[in-house]
Amino acid sequence: MPRPAPALRAGAVLTGSVLVGSLMTACGGDTASPSRTGADGVPTELRLAIGGEPDDGFDPTLGWGRYGSPLFQSTLLTRGADLSITTDLATAYEVSDDGLTWTVDLRDDARFTDGRPVTAADVAYTFSTAAEQGGLTDVTALDEAVVVDEDTVELRLDRPRSTFVNRLVSLGIVPEHAHDEDYATAPVGSGPYELVSWQRGQQLVVQRNDDYYGQRPQFERLVLVFTAEDASLAAARVGEVQVAAVASPLATQDVDGMRIEAVTSLDNRGISFPTVPDEGADDDGAPIGNDVTADPAIRRAVNLAVDRQGLVDGILEGYGSPASGPVDGAPWFEPASAITDDDVPGAEALLEDAGWVDADGDGVREKDGTTASFALLYPAEDSLRQGLALAVADMVAPAGVEIRAEGVSWEEIDRRLHADAVMFGWGSHDPIEMYNLYHSSLAGVEYHNPGYYSSAEVDARLDEALTATDPDVAEAAWRAAQLDADGTGFAAGADAAWAWLVNVEHTYYVDDCLDLGPPLVEPHGHGYPITAGVTGWTWTC
Amino acid sequence: MTPRGVALRALRLVSLLVAVAVGALLLVSASPVDPVRAYVGADVAALGPEQRALVEERWGLGEPPLQRFLAWAGNLLRGNLGESQVYGEPVTTVLLDRAAASLSLMAAAWLVSGVLGFGLGLWAGVRRGRVADRVLTWWAYTLASAPTFWVGLLLLYVFSVSLGWTPVCCAAPIGTLPGEAGLLERLHHLVLPALTLSVVGVSPVLLHTRQAAIEAMDSDYVTFARAQGERLPGLVLHRVARNAAAPALVLQLASIGELFGGSLLAEQVFTYPGLGEATTQAALRQDVPLLMGIALATALIVFAGNAAGVLAHRWVDPRTRTAVAA
Repeated sequence: MPRPAPALRAGAVLTGSVLVGSLMTACGGDTASPSRTGADGVPTELRLAIGGEPDDGFDPTLGWGRYGSPLFQSTLLTRGADLSITTDLATAYEVSDDGLTWTVDLRDDARFTDGRPVTAADVAYTFSTAAEQGGLTDVTALDEAVVVDEDTVELRLDRPRSTFVNRLVSLGIVPEHAHDEDYATAPVGSGPYELVSWQRGQQLVVQRNDDYYGQRPQFERLVLVFTAEDASLAAARVGEVQVAAVASPLATQDVDGMRIEAVTSLDNRGISFPTVPDEGADDDGAPIGNDVTADPAIRRAVNLAVDRQGLVDGILEGYGSPASGPVDGAPWFEPASAITDDDVPGAEALLEDAGWVDADGDGVREKDGTTASFALLYPAEDSLRQGLALAVADMVAPAGVEIRAEGVSWEEIDRRLHADAVMFGWGSHDPIEMYNLYHSSLAGVEYHNPGYYSSAEVDARLDEALTATDPDVAEAAWRAAQLDADGTGFAAGADAAWAWLVNVEHTYYVDDCLDLGPPLVEPHGHGYPITAGVTGWTWTC
Repeated sequence: MTPRGVALRALRLVSLLVAVAVGALLLVSASPVDPVRAYVGADVAALGPEQRALVEERWGLGEPPLQRFLAWAGNLLRGNLGESQVYGEPVTTVLLDRAAASLSLMAAAWLVSGVLGFGLGLWAGVRRGRVADRVLTWWAYTLASAPTFWVGLLLLYVFSVSLGWTPVCCAAPIGTLPGEAGLLERLHHLVLPALTLSVVGVSPVLLHTRQAAIEAMDSDYVTFARAQGERLPGLVLHRVARNAAAPALVLQLASIGELFGGSLLAEQVFTYPGLGEATTQAALRQDVPLLMGIALATALIVFAGNAAGVLAHRWVDPRTRTAVAA
């Protein structure tokens, strides 16, 4: 997603954060006010400053819990730490041969916190309601949800969609009998925790649901404090919270009694290139195309010349990894799409072959009167993207390509994203994102495929992946879209539609006594997704 | 005030509110922020165009702006401010929920900065040119140019993190339920945000009071009183304070609008659950009904502050009475 997640608007307050951060290094507090503790000295209450406050409240049909941990509700399926899918409320599911009917068997021992059982009718109700709601979860592929018997539901789609499985993973089931207009502020569900109190803008207090059918969490109470990053860090410093999410530039200081945990994520940053030559404007008057980046040689040369490890070390403070594509770390990532970078001579040779030469000796190549120079836009308030943009410009300059990094507003990016390169960030547990970024049918729609990339082979692979009924077939097709055996694909070594740069690690201060277990590979959002494994968290002191 | 004066003032208020509503709406419609895009934010990757259409439908964004404005204005006349898009609740509920916290914060800060500013201003004015005056003036100028946000962070660092005297956030201890926190605890959580706000608010009152005090000290009547043998404490109390009080009071009452702005920032720093967060969210996300509600409420508060200022001025300084009535 291109915008900062609401959980952490790091850029906007970074100046302040750095100020307080550096002051704090000089002096430590020791005024811990311990949270509630049980007889054995293990705290019964855990306090987290990780953001995640939903404006809409806790209604899954409006999008609550789409990062995989609705907390109050449970989902049909769930993702393990390695993103593999396992059952939860469902005991099994199967997809019909035409890909249109998903049959889900439900467990019969799950109860809502008001004591009523979770039935097939509730599941059908949840899916059909979510399909009609204008919220943050997209269930528009659903045609109808039908109750087959007490513990079986059929979800019928209007088109085959392998990624629909992600709705089974992320959509928390709500009780039909209690889903009224107050539901968003007083949720009833079958999840591991129950809502005790939500003080908007301040904190959320939840209590363990002792009737939960799944693994019983060790902590009786969780308090989620919705502090800004400075206050989160301050709270960690004085021992008020056991987990605090902070941006990686702040994760360089020592906090007594806490360690830094850096969680791998699908959250990445990369450059979108206009892949078509200048060809006028779209219906809204936004210009389309760029004669420089339309040449694959330029795009490949940028990909080749950039030193990605250098970006990780220099800009991310080491909290990240070089990126090969938009889905590094996901099961549907094609490892062969990785290239060897930091290769300026290679980039030079490539450009030379394509006819880009520096005839006038000004350090920038030209071809047929066009100078190898283009603008790279980044949101001015985002210091991370700024750092990346400036560093990339420096790294490709020796190869004879001039990148003009420009910090602008999102509104200006909206107008120029089809004609200029843009520093974007994406990362989702749903491979539909890959489809949206590269399929030619989505060229120029929203932020999807901003560069008008179009390749018949890639379109075919993406369609195949989306309509596959077998997850393994889908996965193979997703991989082939990146790079197939013939060397076609959108990846850096082939069409180089984007220059992916880095995968960001999300950094958290975590109490030395708290074991978070194997963390889930997180999506773009930093903060709340860490709670995906909350039932497995343990106190080790 | 005469009945005619009251009617005039009411008319002025109504025209002000209409102007604010129209102005805010024009600004909003000129803004390039797309509310749906702002709402979808980080999830834009996973949501298709169909889902986006559903969001627009839920928010009633399909109709043209003028029609929406007329519908909004019609509802307003019936006392209905509409529904906030961001919070999915009636705007009045959002405003009332949050105003209580903000108002206690603003009231505390307002009192402290008024009393402190006036007292120190008198002191500086009477002691013009001496060390105390120079220190106070320098201090006031420094604070006047210090951003609330920055002052808040500094105080947070000093008093909460290093000294541990005050809490780092929120209106009550972390983990307490509503109603569970005692009055003392709530005051404890109010101290630092209120201090932040009043520290910045002291400067204008201090500087104006100082100026008024200096003028009073130079005046004929003070010279006369001095010649008659009146000593400094009496002089300050009976002659200077009353003359300096008028501008200070007016200024202090008129500053309520600024206080409101400052409280937004202080609330952000200390995670104090007032109107601040609602305002920022409403603006960043183009929540038009909430934005309009906040604009109207703010205009009302500022108007009330200014009106109180004029009345207080008249009450303190009899000379202004005829002038204003005429």
